[in-house]
This record gives sequence, C-alpha cells and structure tokens, in this order.
Amino acid sequence: MKIIEKFMKFIALMLYLILAIIPLYWIIITSVKDIKEVFVFPIKYLPQVISFESYRSLFAFTNFAIYFRNSLMVALTASFGALFITMFSGYAMSRYGFKFKRNILISLFFTQAIPSFLVLVPLYTMFAKAGMLDKLPSLMILYINIMIPFSMIMAKSFFDRIPISLEEAAQVDGCSRLQALFKIVLPLTLPGLSAIFSFCFINTWNELFLAVMFINSDLKMTIPVALNSFISKIGVGWDIMSAGIVISLIPTLIIYAFAQRYIVAGLTGGAVKG
Amino acid sequence: MKKNDNSKIFLIMVLPSLISVILLTFVPFLSSFFIAFQNYNFHDLSNIHFIGFENFQAVFNDVNFNFLRILLNTFLWVIVSLFFQFVLGLGLALLMKKPFKGRGIYSGLVFYPWALSGFAIGLIWAWMFNGQFGIINDILQKIGLIHQNIGFLSDTRYSLMSVIIANIWYGIPFFAIMLLAALQSVPLELYEAAEIDGAGYFIKLFKITIPYIKPVIINTVLLRTIWIINFPEMIYAMTGGGPANSSNILSVQMINKIINFLDFGEGAAIGIMIIIIMSIYIIIYLKIISREELAF
Repeated sequence: MKIIEKFMKFIALMLYLILAIIPLYWIIITSVKDIKEVFVFPIKYLPQVISFESYRSLFAFTNFAIYFRNSLMVALTASFGALFITMFSGYAMSRYGFKFKRNILISLFFTQAIPSFLVLVPLYTMFAKAGMLDKLPSLMILYINIMIPFSMIMAKSFFDRIPISLEEAAQVDGCSRLQALFKIVLPLTLPGLSAIFSFCFINTWNELFLAVMFINSDLKMTIPVALNSFISKIGVGWDIMSAGIVISLIPTLIIYAFAQRYIVAGLTGGAVKG
Repeated sequence: MKKNDNSKIFLIMVLPSLISVILLTFVPFLSSFFIAFQNYNFHDLSNIHFIGFENFQAVFNDVNFNFLRILLNTFLWVIVSLFFQFVLGLGLALLMKKPFKGRGIYSGLVFYPWALSGFAIGLIWAWMFNGQFGIINDILQKIGLIHQNIGFLSDTRYSLMSVIIANIWYGIPFFAIMLLAALQSVPLELYEAAEIDGAGYFIKLFKITIPYIKPVIINTVLLRTIWIINFPEMIYAMTGGGPANSSNILSVQMINKIINFLDFGEGAAIGIMIIIIMSIYIIIYLKIISREELAF
C-alpha cells in the first residue's frame, strides 16, 4: 500500500516536471536545429545535428546585440535605482512612526493593482510633451517607478525583522543614525535586498508594453520590443525567433537560479503572514 | 529637538518614492479618466475635445469588436485559468510538502515559468500550437486523438481554449510557491490528533489543511484574479485577440486600440471598464469572504 502510494506520487511529480520542462525544451531544441529541420513533418524531437545557424542569422539580420545591450542597461539601471530609492524609503517606513503611514502603505498596495498598461496613454502624452519619447532614460525612469511600490513594501518587511535594539546599541557607541543603517542594518538585510534587486530585474527585463509604446527607433529597442517587431517582420521565421526567445530567457533564468530561494521567501513571507 | 531631526531624515528618505509614485502613477491614473471622455486620437491631435460618453458608445457599438463576446471571453479567461491554476498549483504544493531527495532542484525546475515573461511564454506556446509544425498537433496525432492538424490559434473554435491552456501552465508555479509555503506552516500536531482518530488523507486535507491555510488561499486567489484580468501579454503574443475576436479580452483590446490604432480615447474608456469590473469583483469577493468569516 505504502509502495503504491509512493509510486503514484513519483509519477505525479514526474508529470508536473515533464509538463513544466516541455516548452523550454522545445524552444531550445528549435533554436539549435538546422533550419531545414525546423520546418519538416513529422517533427524531430531530437535534432540530427546541433547547429547555431539560427543564432548566426539572428545577429546577422537584426541588431540583436544592441537590443540585448539596451535591455541590460535599462534593467540594471532601473533595478539598482529602484533598490537604492526604496532601501531608504522602506527603512523610514519601518523605523519611524508618523501620521499618514497607514494611508501611504494602503495607497502603495492600491497602485499594485494598477497595471502599467492602464496608464500607458497619460504617460505617453506626458512624456511626448516633455520631448522624452524614444529615449532609453525615459524607460529607466518609468521602470524605477513601476518597481517602487512592491520594492518599498518588501524592503519595509525586511527591515521590520531586524531588531531596533541593534541600531540603538550602535548609536550608544557613537554611530549616527545613518552610520548605524549602513554598518549594522544593511549588511543584515543583504539577502532581502538582493531579493528585491532580482525581482526588479526580472520584471523590468520582461516589460513589454511601455517599451513598445515609448521606443520607435530600431537601435533603441529592448529585447521584448524587438521580439514583438519580429512577429510581423518579413524574413524572420520561427528559426530566428526561437533563437531570440532563448537569448531573452537566459538572464532571467540565471537570476532565478541564484535568487530563487530569497525571492520565494520574500514573496511568501508577506502573503503567508497576512 | 531630536524628534524633529529624525522626521527630517525620514522625509528625505521617503519623498523620492512618494513623488515618483504620485507623478507617474496616481496623476496618470486620474487623468486617464479625463482622456476617456475626450476625442483623443494621436493621428488627429489638433482635434482634442470632450465628447461625453461617445468613446464608451463606440466601444459598445463597434461592429468589429463584438462587446458581449469579449466580455464573455474575459470572464472565461479569468475563471477557467484561475480554477485550473489553483487546483493544479495546490496539487503540486501537496506533492512537494514532504521533503524528498532533490526537492530543491525539483522546485527550481518546476517553478521557473514564474520568472519568465508572459510575452515570451506566449510566443513559445504559439510555436507549440502552430498549425503546421506545432509539437502539440504532432503529439495529439501520435496518441491518435486527432487525425489531421488543427489550427489551434487560427480557428475560432480553438483559439480561446489554447490561450487559456498556456495561461494555466504559466500560473501553476505562483499558486504552488505560495501554497507550499503555507502548507509548511501547518502544525504537525493537528495531523497527529486526526490520525489517532483514524482520519484518511482526504478528510485531513479538507478538515485540517485547507481550513488552516484558508487566509493564504483567500489572499492569493484575490491577487491572482486581479493579475489575470490585467494580463494581456500572453494573448497579445499568441493571437492578438483573433481570429475574429474569438480570443479577444478587454485588456488585449485596450492594447490594440492604443498601440495599433493610437485611439487613446477609446483605449482609456476600455481601461475604465476594466477598473469598474475589477472593483465590482473585489467588493463582491470581500463581501462573500467576510460573510463566510462571520459564519465561523
């Protein structure tokens, strides 16, 4: 009875695993197939030869290296920016009691429910008037902003877990408030801060509609904008597309592999407690 | 004196975040209500003026749009996706509750979709659902379920089902991650007492586990519903809402209006409809929840 139960559980776990892996497996296999093999029937589940032809065409026919650089610059700047800003705000929210704290927190939760595409139009007209369209710094500013509410709430919850007595002890020893923050508190919240950074990076790297709306010129496209333009681009088939998709997944998968534990702890911490 | 000093530091620390959110989220959010009542087309910027409810009427009466169909699609997209995401996510969390060899690696391999973009995932599923060279057509034929290729994304009968399947796949990790963390917080003593009484697996599941993690279930279902209502990326990547609106939902139509037609007025009007639907949902949801809570 026990053995049957264990076996069934094993089968179920395997089914979940296979279902989870298939799409990733399939897009990677497609991208390393010989171009002729991509479009044949019956489908080949294992490529005869591994070929990087699709990747070569991707970089030859499009400015993919530049799109990659743009995406990386925007995502890194936005993530560090959001982290830097919310590190202080989250700390203040955690340590100081003041009048409208509850209202601010509730409003932050509320903005979480406003997806960025709902404010696409007003933002677009606002930035158009300021002559800030088709500029990567505009995207960085917008991305920092969309990451602020969540990062701030998360940062606050991380700081809440650090006992305030540690800073008071440091202040007794002659540290200023800021020194205590930098020397005592921040090192202790490092796992939390890296979770915030990873979360910001994943989200900004993946962002589509703001970028599609704001970026027009080819040399300023981020990867999602480029992939979107491939859909209707003549001469870009599923071979090149698959190579582009795989490259777009790599940075987030790397971050995910390193930070999964911290992100999961950060995400579930709030939800499970509340 | 000391207190005054502190509040200054606090202000300096909090202001950048607040100013940013007010300027770039709250103000645009409020002004989108004005735009919804204006003739506001980016092709015709010299002719911006208030037109009352005309944008809303245009959305209802658009012959290419079929408002009722899209409303129905939106409900199906949310409810069917949510149901299967939850059930399958809970199943995975229950399977992973007890430690087993390699659980860390296993969780990495089954949870990864969570980190990927809905747009990229949509593109991958579009390729898998491809009517000519799609892996899904091939597998279904090998099993013998179908005898000739189906144009999953180009056939009005299958397009909505196909995008929902992709969405279910994408959302399972979210529920599994959240519910797994909740399951691990259930005190083991609760089960021990039930086991002495001879309770079986399902009795323990429905009498102990689910009631105990109910707050988490309530939270995650609410968050996820709002999230799915506002998740156009996947459909945008797979079908763009087509063919003939068969897989179109409100958020996708809003994106189409804004990005493809540059009709900001109608786009904003659809956005307001989404906000209204979302608010009604949240109010009803919280009402039902608190009534249940009272019953306890």
